Amino acid sequence: MARVKPSDPPREPGPLPGQRMERLRPVLVPLVLFVVAGVLGSGLWQFESPLGPRRAAPPWASDPRTVYQPKLRPQITIAGYTYRCSDCHDLFPSPAETTRPLTQHREIVLRHGINTRCFNCHHRTNRDALVDDWGREIPYDQPQLLCAKCHGPVYRDWLHGSHGRTGGYWDTTRGPQLRPRCVACHDPHVPPFPPIPPAPGPRTLRMGDQSHPPQPEQTDPLRFHLKTPRGGPRPGDE
Amino acid sequence: MSKPYELGGGDVADRQGPGLTRRGFLRKGAAAMAGVTAVAGALSPLRELKRRDLPTLERLLQKHYKEMTPDDKQAVLKRIAEEVERRFGVRPTVTDPPPLPGVEYVYALNVSRCVGCRKCVHACVRENNPSRQPEIQYIRVLKMQKGSIDVETSDHHYDPPLVPEHDSYYLPVQCHQCAKPPCVKVCPVEATWQEPDGITVIDYDWCIGCRYCEAACPYWARRFNFAEPTIPRGELNPQMAYLSNRPRMRGVMEKCTFCLHRVRAGRLPACVEVCPTGSRKFGNVLDPDSEVRYILEQKRVYVLKEEVGTLPRMFYYFDERGSRYHEPIAPVRPREPEGPSEGGGQRS
Repeated sequence: MARVKPSDPPREPGPLPGQRMERLRPVLVPLVLFVVAGVLGSGLWQFESPLGPRRAAPPWASDPRTVYQPKLRPQITIAGYTYRCSDCHDLFPSPAETTRPLTQHREIVLRHGINTRCFNCHHRTNRDALVDDWGREIPYDQPQLLCAKCHGPVYRDWLHGSHGRTGGYWDTTRGPQLRPRCVACHDPHVPPFPPIPPAPGPRTLRMGDQSHPPQPEQTDPLRFHLKTPRGGPRPGDE
Repeated sequence: MSKPYELGGGDVADRQGPGLTRRGFLRKGAAAMAGVTAVAGALSPLRELKRRDLPTLERLLQKHYKEMTPDDKQAVLKRIAEEVERRFGVRPTVTDPPPLPGVEYVYALNVSRCVGCRKCVHACVRENNPSRQPEIQYIRVLKMQKGSIDVETSDHHYDPPLVPEHDSYYLPVQCHQCAKPPCVKVCPVEATWQEPDGITVIDYDWCIGCRYCEAACPYWARRFNFAEPTIPRGELNPQMAYLSNRPRMRGVMEKCTFCLHRVRAGRLPACVEVCPTGSRKFGNVLDPDSEVRYILEQKRVYVLKEEVGTLPRMFYYFDERGSRYHEPIAPVRPREPEGPSEGGGQRS
């Protein structure tokens, strides 16, 4: 467009670089606009999230079932057959309680603090029952009475609803409220709540770079440096 | 600015009017053409506008939620159900449950039991129909350093093989349903308000998307739909309510409503129901026998950012003895001996 026509009398042997720019100048603005229009219209330049595609949450992440589904019955299943505890224990009396290696029930791991004796919880003569502090029987479907022997404050909180899970309805006039018992979340032989894998974390730019969690000195350098000499290293510094 | 190659000369200029030359005409014409093309290009996203994206006349003329008569509400719920069916291919049940009399909801969260598994986050997403991509989640779970309440040093993105980690505790944060909500105060169009049962709700049809409420919230509990929300087919929860989990549109705010459609039917919120450790507690604080009442009366509770005066209805509490006493605590380096004035306490 900006070529010099042959009929134009050349003033100089050749246009200087500055003059060439001068001649291109009127074309520049339309050219830029054309390019912008082309890019916008083509749809080639689209926003691409640096987060990548969505990771669907696994189904277990919203599964409301409890960690364990206890039967609450004195039963054991061996090779596909279900027996009551008394089926064997009435026939074969258990030996006196010692810390010898087990010959039966060897799959049971007992890590319950200082509670290392079977008969602390299981009834000595009626194996279909648990035992309370006076030697009386506690049925298998009332395990909270057994746990309450030692874990009084937790039992109190469970009774009032501040410990343990609540499901169903908060308004009991409209529907049943579910209060799973101790053994739905705690294995009585290894009671600490089992560590579980975390569900996927957030994927949004608003919470910063996901690969590098914020370090204290990045989030607030002033606070970090003020705190360090006074308070000493924080728990977790290593 | 010299014009060495001006065409035409005086004759042409005289004939065509002062200042208008062929070259000038071409220049201006090209610039105008390009300008028009650029404007058209900038408007090109309108090509993707579908008929369903345009607001219907009924939606444009819809009244404010509080001014609707029961008949108006029924018409609106019907319109929403039809819109949702067109958009997602699922016929939903859209309701508008009223607040229950004599009920004020309170939420309690046991930080000494929370293991940071984030199941609440995903149960909430399944229940409340927020956008999956871009991702909107109402609950954030902060990994906190044991012994610190400094949320500035918390981490959203923890991803160890198993939780809890021995040197951390976890602080889930969501809408606190404040009794003095700053988000409601700043809304210029009264699209958000506090219901009699304490839940702060949004009328998505009335929201203008100014995001003042998001800026006003000290808990970062409100979310904005920057883009058209997407929910994969089959993941839509068809049990919907007008004020809570009906699908949102682009350009409106949304937030946790304590699963209003569930709790006003007597059920527990989805996050409470899914929590594997039972750290989350919910109920009617006006009922003296409720779980939350016991917790408020008997437990040591605290609220986040008490000093901002929002009076949250979300209470964090902890037990006499935490649940993780069997775990080793992270080794702490021996402290430098220091003067008696500080008392050895860690200031924060």
